[in-house]
Amino acid sequence: MKKFAFFLGCITPLRYPGIEIATRQVMKQFDIGLLDMDGASCCPAPGVFGSFDLWNWLLIGARNLSIAEKLDADITLVCNGYATLQEVNHLLEDEEKRDRVNDVLGKIGRRYSGSTKVRHCVELLAEDIGLEKIKSKITNPLKGLKVGVHYGCHYLKPSKVRLHESPEAPDHLDKIVESLGAESVPYREKLMCCGAGGGVRAGNIDEALDFTLEKVQNMKDAGVDCILTPCAFCHYQFDTGQIELKKKEKWNTPIPVIFVTQLVGLALGMSPKSLGLYEHHISPKYIDKLGLKLGKTKKSSSPTDEAVASC
Amino acid sequence: MIVVSRESGKKVGSEPRVGVFVCHCGTNIAGFTDIKSLVEYASKQPGVVFATDYTYMCSEPGQELIRKSIKKHKLNRVIVASCSPRMHEPTFRKVAESADLNPFLVEMANIREQCSWVHMHQPEEATIKAKALIGSAIAKARLLEPLESAEFTVEPSALIIGGGIAGIQTSLDLAEKGFKVYLVEKTPSIGGHMAQLDKTFPTLDCSACILTPKMVDVGRHPNITLLTYSEVKAVEGFIGNFKVTVTKKARYIDEEACTGCGICAQKCPIKVPNEFEVGLGTRKAVYIPFPQAVPTTHTIDKEHCLFLTKGVCKICEKMCPAHAIRFDQKDEDIEIKVGTIIIATGYDLYDAKKKPQYGYGVYKNVITGLEFERLINAAGPTGGKLLRPSDSKPPKSVAFLQCVGSRDANANRYCSRVCCMASLKHAHQIKEKHPDAEVSIFYMDLRCFGKGYEEFYERTQNEGVRAVRARVAEIYEDPETKNLQLRFEDTLQAEIMTAEFDMVVLATAIEPALDTSAIQKLLKLSLSADGFFLEAHPKLRPVETTVAGVYLCGVAQGPKDIPDAVAQASGAASQAAIPLITGKVSIEPITAFVDEDLCSGCGICEDLCPYSAIEIKELDDGKRKSEINEALCKGCGVCGAACPSGAISMKGFTDKQIRAQIDALTASEVA
Repeated sequence: MKKFAFFLGCITPLRYPGIEIATRQVMKQFDIGLLDMDGASCCPAPGVFGSFDLWNWLLIGARNLSIAEKLDADITLVCNGYATLQEVNHLLEDEEKRDRVNDVLGKIGRRYSGSTKVRHCVELLAEDIGLEKIKSKITNPLKGLKVGVHYGCHYLKPSKVRLHESPEAPDHLDKIVESLGAESVPYREKLMCCGAGGGVRAGNIDEALDFTLEKVQNMKDAGVDCILTPCAFCHYQFDTGQIELKKKEKWNTPIPVIFVTQLVGLALGMSPKSLGLYEHHISPKYIDKLGLKLGKTKKSSSPTDEAVASC
Repeated sequence: MIVVSRESGKKVGSEPRVGVFVCHCGTNIAGFTDIKSLVEYASKQPGVVFATDYTYMCSEPGQELIRKSIKKHKLNRVIVASCSPRMHEPTFRKVAESADLNPFLVEMANIREQCSWVHMHQPEEATIKAKALIGSAIAKARLLEPLESAEFTVEPSALIIGGGIAGIQTSLDLAEKGFKVYLVEKTPSIGGHMAQLDKTFPTLDCSACILTPKMVDVGRHPNITLLTYSEVKAVEGFIGNFKVTVTKKARYIDEEACTGCGICAQKCPIKVPNEFEVGLGTRKAVYIPFPQAVPTTHTIDKEHCLFLTKGVCKICEKMCPAHAIRFDQKDEDIEIKVGTIIIATGYDLYDAKKKPQYGYGVYKNVITGLEFERLINAAGPTGGKLLRPSDSKPPKSVAFLQCVGSRDANANRYCSRVCCMASLKHAHQIKEKHPDAEVSIFYMDLRCFGKGYEEFYERTQNEGVRAVRARVAEIYEDPETKNLQLRFEDTLQAEIMTAEFDMVVLATAIEPALDTSAIQKLLKLSLSADGFFLEAHPKLRPVETTVAGVYLCGVAQGPKDIPDAVAQASGAASQAAIPLITGKVSIEPITAFVDEDLCSGCGICEDLCPYSAIEIKELDDGKRKSEINEALCKGCGVCGAACPSGAISMKGFTDKQIRAQIDALTASEVA
């Protein structure tokens, strides 16, 4: 069993524990073990922290990387912490920078030698596990489900550092969606930002929601049943942002949001409840369309016990 | 006092008498160095008997100053402290020669490119460095020996590689001058990209009408041997005496017998996409690419012919009235001897699929400019009706996207130069046929630089063509209507916008032809950073290459339009004719030289020589010795550096001379 250090970041455990649970369950199905990163902190946020204080951003990022290195494992993750850890790792290939960071890390008894790789969970699904293996485990093909795939920014850019797929024509998520039997629906401005990142959500919520509104309008025009995200922060922006837009009377038809591992989990026969789909602000109306055999469909306020038990 | 003349022998019998000539180059050098102190410094160096300065040493009075000084001061070494030897070494060698001094006793000190130009803000240091450079040139010059150039006769014929408009023009020019021309073209017909175009900007001449008569002239000219469906396989030799091997690919049709009647193509049952129609139309497995092809000899495409792939059919053989079909034909190698070679290999287009945001290859109504040419061409697949591919209806609105793959750090940084005018021409053609159609050109800059181009731009504006200064970010196809939604920022209005069009035409970049690197290796040419062939000098030797006897024209040298390509082709023909007319060439004597007493015959040099100029010969006594073919040797020095016994030296760059130069450079006395 291949093992990865699972970097949770902040948003997943605080707001969408369902993403964590779904990811743990799905990875287990494909013989990938996820190790806890004891003492991991905020990544720290790629846009804001990195722009204001590059050295402390590198330093804290390196501390997180050193936790995984001690576990002798590569990191996988489900959020825009990818942007920080992957890029910090890239910058620390420079020995001079690494030495400078290690001088400080040494004071708390840590060191980062640069041996850990940072892989997004989408990379694991599309490249390490592979579409054929995913297909072989499907018990509930998601036939008829129209998915609006959102790639977001940090997963793809800066493309000179990311390298894993084309920043202009990415297809990992679309291929995953299609392999599950669902349809990835083309829509305008597919590669546009969700609006949240780079401190925009925190700094200027109206501007951030303008982005979100444009995206969801384009997806609605294309007739999607749900929005698929690869990033907990985009997930938050679409799930919470559409409710905020509704309150401002700018948007009446919120589209349910689903994380990539949650969608895979559905196709693998996991119950919507165990995947945390009822923990979202927007209820997963698409479930009815799929005609899945469901357990309890009542919205639960407690964490998804049955999933926790299965992890 | 001994002045060495070219005829008077190799040894310099007396002490060197060095003259130093410091050039101001206007203010290029004088503005940043203290000329007076340079002359003073030079005059104090050992061996220097005369030193002076002048505003422009390369001008006639400057040259005369050198000539007179050589005579007056009985100089037997000349230093010119001025620009790069690449610029004016030939000039000053000629000056020496005209004063009866062996031209290879001239040494250049480059105090412009390597000194004043790069140290404009440090005049004091620049002066110190210029002194060091002059001192080191003097140190080397003291050890220079006269060299003799060898002369060879020239084969009065030329090879032209590539049969587009540039290759056609240069072939006709040389043939008209009376020289034998071999024109090699890899496809079945000459004509190149120009044959695919509908009209030419800005005059709107029908491209075929002005091109095809020239193609016919080439086919009929008694001095031109046309080798189509052929490729250059090997080139040996040197200027005046190239030995070229050309592979004639099997056409499976006897060229002499075929009348071009076309019955074979009518009867052939196999249809394949036609390359000439950029895949928009079809041709048969036996074909000519287009009706006006030269030659009209048909070609059987062995990838698709039923008989050649599956052993059945042969209907063409049965039907051919001239009995010209030869299924047993094989590729054939032909050897030709030529004095000069002209490269006219043209270009290929940037693959628009590399910009996935524009959806080329995914969205049917996104096409390239060359595809547009075929769609608007009366001889094209739609008979000249502009119909959009998704529903074969005339588009009511068309967008042109400029610089797809040009002026782009993620593709090609250079400007492709023809696309602005090409798109304006296309826009005009749409307006001509459908005055109500809405036509927009999305541009960064509209570069309408040529004769009559600006006027043409104005004309299309008056016709109602809209120019939008924007780099389109993304194209999205409406799945229902197959219309295309463009998302862009209008940078003049500073507004982000979306606009819908029925069809989009991408002005894809001109790129070096795919076989450029193969030709480059064959002829040992250089490429510039953009990947096109490098000319010998960007301004003063635009059609020559760094390999003597090899010339360039057309887009092979860089993107250009038809008028420029034709002008350059005539220029290349003129240049390539010079050695053919004079009938002799002299070969630069700066070559490798083997000291046979030291050579052990190990053969390392033979393996390393990039010009195949070295051969290990066995002598009568059984010893092996390295032998240099001076005509082939370019004096690159690889063999000299690698020779384990130090037996090889470069004439004009001996170890002793270079060491003297280094010693002088590193001496501390200058400062």
